[in-house]
Amino acid sequence: MSISVDEIKWLAKLSKLDFDDERAAAFSGDFDEIVEFADRINSQIAGDTTKIREVGGSEIAFADLRKDEVKESLPVEKVTSNVVSEGGYFTVRRVVK
Amino acid sequence: MKYELVSGLETHVELATATKIFCSCTTAFGGAPNTHCCPVCTGQPGALPVLNKRVVEFAIRAGLALHCKINTVTHLDRKNYCYPDLPKAYQISQFDKPLCEHGYVELESGKKIGITRIHIEEDAGKLVHDRGFTFVDYNRGGVPLIEIVSEPDISSPEEAREYVEKLQLIMRYLAVSDCKMQEGSMRCDVNISLRPEGADYLGARTEIKNMNSMSFIEKAMEYEYSRQAEILSSGGKVEQATMRYDEHTGETYVMRTKEDAQDYRYFPEPDLPTIIIPEEEVQKAQASLPELPLEKLKRYRDMLQLSDHTARQLYKYKAVCDFFESCINSGASARNSANLITGAIYSRFATEEQKEKFSLPFDAAQFAELVKLLDSGKINPTLAQMTLSKMLTNGGKVSDYISTEDVKGVDEGELEKLCREAIAANPQAVADFKAGKEKAISALYGYIKRATQGKADIRAADAIIKRLL
Ligand SMILES: [Zn+2]
Repeated sequence: MSISVDEIKWLAKLSKLDFDDERAAAFSGDFDEIVEFADRINSQIAGDTTKIREVGGSEIAFADLRKDEVKESLPVEKVTSNVVSEGGYFTVRRVVK
Repeated sequence: MKYELVSGLETHVELATATKIFCSCTTAFGGAPNTHCCPVCTGQPGALPVLNKRVVEFAIRAGLALHCKINTVTHLDRKNYCYPDLPKAYQISQFDKPLCEHGYVELESGKKIGITRIHIEEDAGKLVHDRGFTFVDYNRGGVPLIEIVSEPDISSPEEAREYVEKLQLIMRYLAVSDCKMQEGSMRCDVNISLRPEGADYLGARTEIKNMNSMSFIEKAMEYEYSRQAEILSSGGKVEQATMRYDEHTGETYVMRTKEDAQDYRYFPEPDLPTIIIPEEEVQKAQASLPELPLEKLKRYRDMLQLSDHTARQLYKYKAVCDFFESCINSGASARNSANLITGAIYSRFATEEQKEKFSLPFDAAQFAELVKLLDSGKINPTLAQMTLSKMLTNGGKVSDYISTEDVKGVDEGELEKLCREAIAANPQAVADFKAGKEKAISALYGYIKRATQGKADIRAADAIIKRLL
C-alpha cells in the first residue's frame, strides 16, 4: 500500500472528515488505485512533468493583467442569499471556544 | 548560561490598491459586512480569479526597495486550510516561486536584516465570535497582501522594532501601503528561538502570531525570551509551537503544538496562468523608486545641515517631508522651516496619525512666505511663531496676519496720528459707525491705506480707531 492508513487518517482530519479504522483501510486501497492511475498518466507525458501547469499554454504577460479599476460588488442580499446569515454576516457554528 | 535571541519576522502588508487582488471589488476599509463582495471573493463555484496588475507592480516596487531580486517568471499556488475566514478553503498565495527574493533591510547600526522572500497573496475575511456563533465578513477577503519574510537575523526586541519601523517607513515612502498597524494593514508573526551564546545552530522555535503593535512585539519577545531561557536553563526542551500574545496579561500562550501543525498541501494554482514580467518593467520600476528613508535622513543631515534630532522628526512622516521639501523649494531656509514644523506645528498634533496625515489649514507656499520673512530678518522669531499660531488656528494667508507695517516697523505714534487724521476727514463714516453701521469704518481703513501706500497694519489701526472713537 503506497498510501498508509495513517496518511488517510491525516488527510481525513485535514478534510474535517471522521473516518473509523475500517473506512480508512478501504480508502487506503482506493487511493492506491488512484495514485497508480496518476502515475500511469505521468509516464505518458513527454518531458518534465513538473512543468505540467504550462501544458495548457497558460501564461500571461504582465501588460495583460487586470487594470486596477473598481467595479460594483454584489448586493449583500445576493451575497448571502444561499447561506445562513444575520445582519449581513455569514453565520457559522462558533469556531473558537 | 547566557542565551542569545534568534528571531525572524513574517510581516503582512496590505497593498493600497483600489481593487482586490483577484476581483474588482473595492478594498476600502470597513463598510457594512459583505458589501464589498462578489462571486470571486466569496469563493462561489465556477468563479475565476483575475490577477490585479497593480498588485504585481506594488510588490515589485517593495522588492526593489528592499534590494531583492525579482523573479520575472512567477506563479501562484494554493495554500489549503479549512477555516471560515477563507471561503474557498484555500488561500491563493505563492510557494516555490515568490515574486521577490534575497533582499535586506539596513538598520542604523549598518547591520543588514536579510529578506528571504516577498510573495503576494490574498487576505482572509474577518471573524466576529458571539454567542454560539461565528459571524463572517468577507469585505477584507481578497484584499492584496505582500508577505515579507526575514532571515533569522534579528537578535533583540529593539532590533525587531527598528526593522518593523524601517519596513513601515519604506512602504509608506513607496506609497504601496499605509501600514497602519492599529487597522491591521500591517501585522507581524514573530519567530523566536534561543541558543547558547556563540553557538552556531538554531534552537527549537516558537512563532507568535498576528502582532499588531510595535510595543506588543517588543514585550512579547521579551516575555518569550525569558520563558524559553527558563525552560532551557532548567534542562528542559522548548517545544515547537504557535503562540498568541495576550496584551492584557503580557504573556504568550500556546495556540497549537507541532502535533497539530498545519499541513497546507501547497500546489500550483490551476486557475491562474504563469506571469511573465519583462525585464524592462523591472528596470522601469527601479528607475522610478523615490528617495528612500535612510537616504533622505542622510540628505537632511548632510546637505541641509539639520541636526540629527530635527532630521529624524521630519523623515519619519512622508507627508511632512513632502510639505517641508515643497517649502524649501520655494526658497525658504531648511533650518527655519524645519524648526517651525517640528516646533509650533507639531505642538498642534497630539498623535502619530495626525503627523502622518499632516493636514493643515494653509499650504506649503503660504508657510514658505512666512519662513522667508523670518529668513530675511524682516520679522523676528516671536512674530513668526505668533503668526504661525494664528494661521494654524484660523487658516488663511500670511498677509492676513502680518502687514507691511510689521515688516517695516512703522511706529505706533505715526499710526495714531494717521488715525486721528482719518477720523477728522470722514465725519459721515464716523457718524454712521457710531449709529451702528459696522462696515462704515472701512472708509477710515481706506484713508490710512492710501496715506501709507498700504504699509500700515490695519489690525493695529483698527484697535487705535476704536479706542479713539
Ligand atoms: Zn470580489
